[in-house]
Amino acid sequence: MLPGDPAKAGVKDSRLNAAAIEELRARFGLDKEVLVDLDGPNPFDTQYFTYLGALSRGDLGTSYAFRDRNVSDLIGDALINTLWLVLPSQALSIVLGTILGLIAAWKRRTAIDVAALAFGLFMWSLPTFFLGIILLFLGANWFHLPTSGRVTLGTDYASFWEAAGDVLRHLFLPTLTLTLVLLGEYLLIMRSSVLEVFSEDYILTARAKGLSTFRIIRDHALRNAMLPLVTLIAINLGFTVSGAIQVESVFSWPGLGDLTVQAVAQRDYPVLQGAFLLLAVAVVIANLLAELVYGLLDPRVVEA
Amino acid sequence: MTATSQVLSAAPAELPRAHPARAFLRNRIGVVGAVMIAIVALVALFAPWIAPYDPYVHVRVTVLDIFQGPSSQHLLGTDDAGKDVLSSLLYGARVSLIVGFAAAFISLIIGGSIGLIAGYFGGRLGAGLMRFTDFFLVIPDLALLIVIVAVLRDRSLFNLILVIGALGWTTTARLVRSQTLSLRERKFVLRARAVGGGDWYILRRHILPLALPLMLANTVLVISLAILSESTLSFIGLGDPTVISWGQMLDFAFGRGAVSAGAWWALLPPGFAIVWIVLGTTLLGTAMEEAFNPRLRRHHLEADEASVVADELVAEPPVSVPAPSGVATTFAADSAPVLQVRNLTVEFDSPSGPLRAVEDVSFDLRRGETLGLVGESGCGKTTTVMGMLRLLPPGGRVVAGQVLFGGRDVLALDPTELRAVRWAGMSIVFQGAMNALNPVRTIADQISETILVHEPEMSRGEAGRRSGEMLERVGISARRATEYPHTFSGGMRQRAMIALALACQPDVVIADEPTTALDVMVQAQILELLAALGRDFGMGTIIVTHDLGVVAQVCDRVVVMYGGRVAENADVRTTFAHPRHPYTQLLLKAFPNVGETDQRLRSIPGTPPRLDALPPGCRFTPRCPYAFERCSAEVPPLFAVGDDDHGASCFLVVEPERAHG
Repeated sequence: MLPGDPAKAGVKDSRLNAAAIEELRARFGLDKEVLVDLDGPNPFDTQYFTYLGALSRGDLGTSYAFRDRNVSDLIGDALINTLWLVLPSQALSIVLGTILGLIAAWKRRTAIDVAALAFGLFMWSLPTFFLGIILLFLGANWFHLPTSGRVTLGTDYASFWEAAGDVLRHLFLPTLTLTLVLLGEYLLIMRSSVLEVFSEDYILTARAKGLSTFRIIRDHALRNAMLPLVTLIAINLGFTVSGAIQVESVFSWPGLGDLTVQAVAQRDYPVLQGAFLLLAVAVVIANLLAELVYGLLDPRVVEA
Repeated sequence: MTATSQVLSAAPAELPRAHPARAFLRNRIGVVGAVMIAIVALVALFAPWIAPYDPYVHVRVTVLDIFQGPSSQHLLGTDDAGKDVLSSLLYGARVSLIVGFAAAFISLIIGGSIGLIAGYFGGRLGAGLMRFTDFFLVIPDLALLIVIVAVLRDRSLFNLILVIGALGWTTTARLVRSQTLSLRERKFVLRARAVGGGDWYILRRHILPLALPLMLANTVLVISLAILSESTLSFIGLGDPTVISWGQMLDFAFGRGAVSAGAWWALLPPGFAIVWIVLGTTLLGTAMEEAFNPRLRRHHLEADEASVVADELVAEPPVSVPAPSGVATTFAADSAPVLQVRNLTVEFDSPSGPLRAVEDVSFDLRRGETLGLVGESGCGKTTTVMGMLRLLPPGGRVVAGQVLFGGRDVLALDPTELRAVRWAGMSIVFQGAMNALNPVRTIADQISETILVHEPEMSRGEAGRRSGEMLERVGISARRATEYPHTFSGGMRQRAMIALALACQPDVVIADEPTTALDVMVQAQILELLAALGRDFGMGTIIVTHDLGVVAQVCDRVVVMYGGRVAENADVRTTFAHPRHPYTQLLLKAFPNVGETDQRLRSIPGTPPRLDALPPGCRFTPRCPYAFERCSAEVPPLFAVGDDDHGASCFLVVEPERAHG
């Protein structure tokens, strides 16, 4: 069904004989039929149903590439690393993007707006991996920051705090990259969303009522303008599990994105399946959350 | 919906709208984007002639050729394989453009078809298609892209284009659907269907051409996304290995130690080339969207002070009319006017210079009086009241005049003083209250908020009680006060707006076409309500309307406007019985009179003048049956008629014999 026999991809040794390959295939269950086995004693003794059975017990199988490592463990470790990277970036960029986008829209066509717009458009046009490379280049050559991995290999830490500091220094450049990229996107969306709201008639009403600009923005514009941003944040949180692919691959950050790219390169299908199962769950949960938040912000949704 | 928004924006209807193409050309951002794309296109086209080397030819290299800095031989140095970076860069433009345009074209076809079908046919088919679209929208495209490309047997450029194109259509589909939904209800489409036009014919001939501009703008943005996708895939090592692309250049250089070698020349050029083309397409696409989507030009929060040129007011005494004897600007005052508008003049910016939407408008309003501001659409009625309240949209400003309220000129107040006068002194019921209330806050909340702003010492509970009372006054049960505007019908929202307008017990209430969108029964109720409340509270009320029936029903005084100027100003009895301005007379003839069945209705030939082509002299001259030489030579001031407080700006008042010659 899929190209490349993992039994061969996993073991790149031409001296491997046919018997050994068969043994590997049996070990991973690849000798079985894919979907249903109509000739055998049990038609469901196949690759797919074996996988489903294992899945129901919370077992995602065994990695082909990282031999003898449980897919659940691999993905669990990677997920934690990814969250360390993604959550701070998301939080920072959401807060900054909302504020900057709001100010830009409010001060439309002033120097502040032009600068914010230029920054946003530039960040949007900058491929994430390229920004990562630039920051890595600068960080490595000028600031002597670590550029790869999660910890400095082969170090003995005197204390927990020293170890934590090392991780944080490794985390700095990837987090900065992801924050800048997300910030550009949130800023642009917030700006256009606020501009859209400012053109609404109820803003004119608020102005005619004698509300100060601050109160108009706080009480009438902000909540309405946040609505599109909530959707975007939800989609991006779904990305969380896969979206740091580019940053992780530049900085060799051992998260899910990096794991996915490696799994693709090595045709490690159990890991890929596990990663995408997690992605699917994350996307569903993120969208569910978005719906709930949307319902809180917009009374019209509850009716529908 | 669009009609109400237009009126609310107070821009005169005949203000010339720039043609989208011209608006686009004036938009420098779009031109910059187009030029950026054109440069890449030229490079891609002429790459074989301008590139110093052919990057596809394999040459033997030694270790010394690798990562060599810029030199006269290699202007941008050499890469990890000792090849000329500049040549690869120039050839790489081809891949980016081919992928971008071809994939975006595929997306346009898929997204356009889905959007058109979902929008036009709607129903279960449309809902199903949109579910499908939403599904694709929430899947992280990069992850999906990587998996699909990873399992491709053949990573050729052609296959990459297919995959990128097949995943990039969701935004197009949503945009086209919403466009189609609104176009479907437009008159010409309904008419085409009524005369038996088939669905496909209507889609092809009527809807597609109108949806196309925004579709194309969106497609330009999709191009930028496709180019980004291709370079990301190439960087991850999933691109077509047989062609040279910018993403692949970065992948090879980065993966083979360009950073540790300090070889910035192998990294920055391909990276910034991607930025260049993505930025170019984004700028062009955004500019196109803005040119084709006029809605984005309104902005209700541009600073208050910008709408009034206070210095000019001081510098230039607001008397632009030479006051000949007997000019009826002051009326025998039995009670002091609560509001006096003097020589109000409003201009709008336009590509061809400032346009006068309102000129030299003066009138008085007394307590308990209801004044009708009457005229055809585009006569400057709404602009007049928006100018009075300093709520003109961007590009509009009061250039002369005074609005005397409570002994002070509203136009000269600083923003803090102005805010205090707004609503507590003068409030307004906008036309089409559909969108004038904030959809995410309850009615009571929006009324109490207003009360608390102007009477901060009041407690929240007290303000809430007052909101309930106000709603009861307009016939809405106080129990419904905690509901949101979307649960109210159009008539109820209009009543809620009136309750809001009265919440601070203002001295002046302005109602701008308060009943246009409502059915006749509700209209009558609302008008009676306004007039009664006006009398009860002792307010002055201004009703802006084109409906003489409304005037006859509730107004005490009538100010007739034409071409931005006051044509006639009289009490309601005089207006209907002895109109002196030919425009008023013709307006009355165009209005059905229930009493006289034999009289035929006559519409006034012609249309109100365009602001950019105002006739010299009296603005009504081209349509006036009595016009004589003086009318096109001089602007008639408001002449007093008899010794009543009746004025008409027509030379016939002072030269009555001309009416027969």
